[in-house]
Amino acid sequence: MYFGLPDDALTLRDGLREVLTTACTPAVIRAAWDGDSSVALWKTLGSFGLPGLLASESTGGLGLDELSFVAALEEAGWHGVPGPLVETLVSTPVLDLPLDGSARIAVKRHPGPVPWACTSTHVLDTSNDLRLLDVTQAALTPVDTVDRARQLADVSGDGSAPSLSSEQLALLELRGTLGTAAFLLGLARRQVDLTVAYVKERKQFGVPIGTFQAVKHPLADAIVGTEFAWPAALRAAHSLATGDPQAALHVSMAKALASEASYRVSRVCLQAHGAMGYTVEYDLHLFAKRTWALAKDWGTAEQHRAIVAREIVRGRTAL
Amino acid sequence: MNIVVLVKQVPDTWAERKLNEGDKTLDRASVDVVMNEIDEYAVEEALRIKEAQGGEVTILTMGPERAVETIRKALSMGADKAVHLSDEALKGSDAVQTSYALGKVLETLEYDLVIVGSEATDSRMATMGALLSERLGQPQLTGARKVTAEGGTVTIERQTDDGYAVVEASTPAIISVMEKINEPRYPSFKGIMAAKSKPLTTLSVGDAGVDEGQVGLAAAPSQVVEFSNKPPRQAGQIVKDEGDGGTKIAEYLASQKFV
Repeated sequence: MYFGLPDDALTLRDGLREVLTTACTPAVIRAAWDGDSSVALWKTLGSFGLPGLLASESTGGLGLDELSFVAALEEAGWHGVPGPLVETLVSTPVLDLPLDGSARIAVKRHPGPVPWACTSTHVLDTSNDLRLLDVTQAALTPVDTVDRARQLADVSGDGSAPSLSSEQLALLELRGTLGTAAFLLGLARRQVDLTVAYVKERKQFGVPIGTFQAVKHPLADAIVGTEFAWPAALRAAHSLATGDPQAALHVSMAKALASEASYRVSRVCLQAHGAMGYTVEYDLHLFAKRTWALAKDWGTAEQHRAIVAREIVRGRTAL
Repeated sequence: MNIVVLVKQVPDTWAERKLNEGDKTLDRASVDVVMNEIDEYAVEEALRIKEAQGGEVTILTMGPERAVETIRKALSMGADKAVHLSDEALKGSDAVQTSYALGKVLETLEYDLVIVGSEATDSRMATMGALLSERLGQPQLTGARKVTAEGGTVTIERQTDDGYAVVEASTPAIISVMEKINEPRYPSFKGIMAAKSKPLTTLSVGDAGVDEGQVGLAAAPSQVVEFSNKPPRQAGQIVKDEGDGGTKIAEYLASQKFV
């Protein structure tokens, strides 16, 4: 089986890379930490076409499939795009909201505070009765958050009831889980890039610290984890794109692997940086803290492993 | 309104630029290349005029094979087609020769406006608009921070040190723009996909009717005779503070006539 990305997806990723290199610098993420809604960045993403990646062409979207989706989100993860990007991309195909980046859609999947609520325009609540809230009409109570770019807040208010079928909701859940897995792998790649650059530059005992086995081996091991997780994400994307009946299982495999691998990368990278890694003026924490949050969002590794295990124990699945 | 935009591929603005030891031409092979930054503004301005008034935008580039990447970027921003003048014989051409070769191609194209960026970040000559104007016998409007084109007339606001001058000419005309003029767009995904199938004509020197004897390094009216690379940065002087650090800083500043 061919596990590479198709041309469309590569074109999308490369184009997005060019856009984000100038439009999503660490300064933009830092502004989001201070409560900025990243409107300019999202407008740029809108003109690129990203918010409507999965939306059909007849509604003005790009009509691309999940392979392009994971390619784009992995790249977005590398740049640490602030805002509910995964959530918006999976919501636009089923909600009648603008695709030009002016709608930033957070998703409330379970009771409690909602990530991104403070910098979003809408909250899609799938936790109980299905509702779509306009954030300007809702009451927000921010709560303490580790990744302050992804500020959590309790949201209350009345909203409209969008008509989504249970199939649409299930697909939204699977895509959101997979998209988060891809974003995590991009975050991991960024942290590795930062760390490799650092350990080549930082010297101790007269040599770069990257030459020490105690530094390079854990780093190499951590990268092996993400290298194994990426093909799982591609497989899940392919399964969703082709309607494979085992798609849900494959998505769980991808998220379990991506959560574990990226979390491990963030720990190893933090350690390889020594005290530097804890410095808020240094960029590593912007990506590490997002990793900690997203590794647990859309299902933890343990929850997804349990789903995979259940399928195996039931004997229904040949992996 | 049909517009030709001249686009040049240059070494990345932030990369260290070098000359080749042998023929003293710019080393283009060993660095990342990008579209000359101000050319993005030229493309953007052409697209805005086209979107308001209709017509076609053609990209014209002279450069090695690799310049196709830059042409594709201009097409993905929204230009309609492109002409790429590419020939080994052109290597090492200076600004005067380049204007001759580009002028030959422009003679075969139908246009109302030619838009160029005010200068390229590699050669920094800032003369292409003027050179083409002379070659083609068409008016030049340089340093535009605003362009208004209507019917057979084009008006620009020409940036000056103290303010701006309003300059008007009949079309066809050559305009050079500066970065104040607009905010260039990013290519959209649909634009990038569409660019793959837009017409791109590649011309050799012979195809363009350019006399091979008049272009290239050997025939260049201006030659790089000698060059030396920037000396590497010297290590700074470190003064250890033994209670007299302040005095030493003051002494240093005084020795450099800062205080």
